[in-house]
Amino acid sequence: MISCLLIHVSRNPQGLPVCKDSVIAGATIQIGRGAACKIHLLDHRVSLLHASVRRSEDGVLYIDGERNATLKINGFIAQSAPLLPGTHVEIGPYALVVEPAASGHDLILSVELIHPLNDHDAALACRTAPVTIAALGLSKRKLGFSLAACILFLYLLLPMLPSASMVFDKWQAGLPVTLNGSWSPGPLAGGHALFEAKCSTCHQRSFQAVSDEVCTGCHKQVGKHLTKEELQVKTFKTMRCTDCHIDHKGSERLVLHDSSKCVTCHGDIKRKIASTELANVNDFAAGHPPFHITLRNGQDVIRVRQDEKDKLVEKSGLKYSHKVHLAKEGVSSPQGDTVMRCQDCHKIKESGRHFEPMTMQKTCQQSDCHALDYTDPVGGLAPHGSEPAVMNHLRVFYSKWLNESPENRAACDSAADIQGITACASDLARKNAAATLFSKNDGCGECHEIQPVSNREVPWKVAPVRINQDWQPGAEFVHAKHDTMGCTDCHDKMNSRSSADISMPAIAKCRECHVGNHPAKGKVASGCDSCHRFHQGVK
Amino acid sequence: MNKMQGATLLKYKNYRYFKATSLLMALAITAYVLIRPAGGESYGGTWLGYVLGILSTLIMVFLMWYGITKRRISGAPERRQQRIRTTRSDEMAAQLKFERRKTRRKTRGLSGATLQEWLSAHVYLGASLIVLVSLHTGFHFGMNVHTLAYVLMLLVITSGFYGLNVYLNYPRLITLNMAEDTLDDLLLKIAELDELACTRALGLPDEVNALVLKARHETRIGGTLFQQLSGEQRDCPTRHAVQQMLHLGEKYNQDDQPKIMRDLYSALLRKEKLVLRARTEIMLKARLECWLYLHAPLGIALLAALTAHIVSIFFYW
Repeated sequence: MISCLLIHVSRNPQGLPVCKDSVIAGATIQIGRGAACKIHLLDHRVSLLHASVRRSEDGVLYIDGERNATLKINGFIAQSAPLLPGTHVEIGPYALVVEPAASGHDLILSVELIHPLNDHDAALACRTAPVTIAALGLSKRKLGFSLAACILFLYLLLPMLPSASMVFDKWQAGLPVTLNGSWSPGPLAGGHALFEAKCSTCHQRSFQAVSDEVCTGCHKQVGKHLTKEELQVKTFKTMRCTDCHIDHKGSERLVLHDSSKCVTCHGDIKRKIASTELANVNDFAAGHPPFHITLRNGQDVIRVRQDEKDKLVEKSGLKYSHKVHLAKEGVSSPQGDTVMRCQDCHKIKESGRHFEPMTMQKTCQQSDCHALDYTDPVGGLAPHGSEPAVMNHLRVFYSKWLNESPENRAACDSAADIQGITACASDLARKNAAATLFSKNDGCGECHEIQPVSNREVPWKVAPVRINQDWQPGAEFVHAKHDTMGCTDCHDKMNSRSSADISMPAIAKCRECHVGNHPAKGKVASGCDSCHRFHQGVK
Repeated sequence: MNKMQGATLLKYKNYRYFKATSLLMALAITAYVLIRPAGGESYGGTWLGYVLGILSTLIMVFLMWYGITKRRISGAPERRQQRIRTTRSDEMAAQLKFERRKTRRKTRGLSGATLQEWLSAHVYLGASLIVLVSLHTGFHFGMNVHTLAYVLMLLVITSGFYGLNVYLNYPRLITLNMAEDTLDDLLLKIAELDELACTRALGLPDEVNALVLKARHETRIGGTLFQQLSGEQRDCPTRHAVQQMLHLGEKYNQDDQPKIMRDLYSALLRKEKLVLRARTEIMLKARLECWLYLHAPLGIALLAALTAHIVSIFFYW
């Protein structure tokens, strides 16, 4: 316990000291600005708890400065010192002096404010620079509203001007940066880039969606999806061109490859249109029916499901064995055994989709193959044409031959006059044609079906040739994109002996590489429009 | 706000808003991945894009409403009261002041939520916008008003993250730096030390006197925005004086001058320490406030850009 007599010294107007005593006691005596301090020094320059008076183990009283607080003891900065009589301690503006000891008190301290705060100090304190951001005069509101005003002017008001007046619309089209360019969410597709500076070409009315008439105004030749006008209108009355053709997505992208829109109808088309022949289709991988093959049946065109094997017969009117022509050891030709490739006959068009039509001259008679020669009584070469043309050729040929020398006429039994020679030539032509060109398995009969008919001049009829050009007209297959594969990887023709064989790959073959709408590892995601086109008349 | 309060802000009611916004983000991401309204083509114009856009707009308006709610709960700034005082008659001002006091006593908003609850929701919902709006864009960006709005939003959110960081950490640093002192206390002490140093320097050579006078008159505490934020004064005269006093002490080591020089050096050293603490205080406070000078104005700018974005979409539908 420390008993302390505290003498508060103040000065009267004459500068003479005026003392006032008080007694305090405690285990330690705190000195500071705080109200809890026993020696309460009310000045901002004194810390809340500035120092404490404690008694050491050997009974000596000492003053101990708190952390961050400065004590000046006898003119020196110190953190701790014994309180011997005469010790002068400065705490902030106060001076504490240890008076000589007297009976009844362990310590007698006089306290005096020696550096009162004057106006000059206050003025100095006020002269400091701004100490808060608010004092800099910055205004959050002003800054915010200024920015907002700039944005609204540049990005809302200016882009609206071209819609307000055609004058602005024409004027801004010539500017390096258009007024409403900032509204464009992305580059326009392909040819639409022409309208980049003239939004009003498509966006003709404010706050109204781009109408179909705007599209069809330029794209006049676009086909409809359905051929029946009534059904077309009923089915697509709520759809717009822009549902599928979304622009501003870059120069390469205008068509939305979204099968879900197709599946909306085709997924349950049997229920929606009871009379339809189409099957429900949901996804190429999981919900697509077997392919249909389009065949020519005489004059008619029929569609046959590919899993109906017995109906899959091509009636081309030709006799042809792919196996013979594609034999690994080669096929005999005037140039010797020749190994043939598919491309020797099936020449792809520039479009990469279909093949050039095959002809006798360009395809079958290449490398001098399949020459239509006849031998008896003299050899010749017949043209590839209709039956009457071939017979005429033979008659003319033998007439000339008979007229060349009397020896040749020995081949005739008839008279040597013109009628006789003509009759003889016709006879020779008929015999020869029967023996060589129009025999069942030789000459024309090697490739064509030949039937005898009751016609004296041309007693044979060659079956009409109807080679299928497009097996799947409802789909689009680009051979050029599949040129990394061999032809026979998909078309099994190596063992085909008959021209009736159809070697179109089934859907399972396509599914080896292609899946439907949902991507799968190692497979090609293929939506409806990978093979089918929307804008084509479907019969 | 101390660290504990900051932690409460994030953990408010057992992470209520963290859970809610996490769920919201998870739903949005799942929908974005699974639902492909335009066959894999993602952009703001699909129905999912519109849903995300409308949701994000509502959240943004809600977040901006926090600025109004904050004022309603904690009271309008002093500036508004001053404006009221200067523009209205005394009677009306007194009436308004009374009402203002009544409002200020409120600790809850109209919805009954505390300011802390509002702030907790504000922080988490603000962060969720990064995900929601990015999904809304379909990751298509360009030089247009749409991307401008997106970039402004990211700037607002980034400044908000900075604000959250300083609010969580700086109060503790301020307390460590200042203890029980206030900035005014420090400035008074500095002024007193300046006075003391000038008195001591009176009897010393001109070189020392000039140094002390320069340290008194040219030492700046606070100042420009940069000076406040950096907490430094380039070529601080006080620091320069302290460094020079070491050399000058040896130079003028004569007769009775060492004690005065020592006193002077001591005073300047104490002043330098106080100046450093004062500048640190100003720096911490400035950093605590500065982000709001970006967050709020950019928020208003974002509202303008968002308006332009929405109007442009429907103007050229």
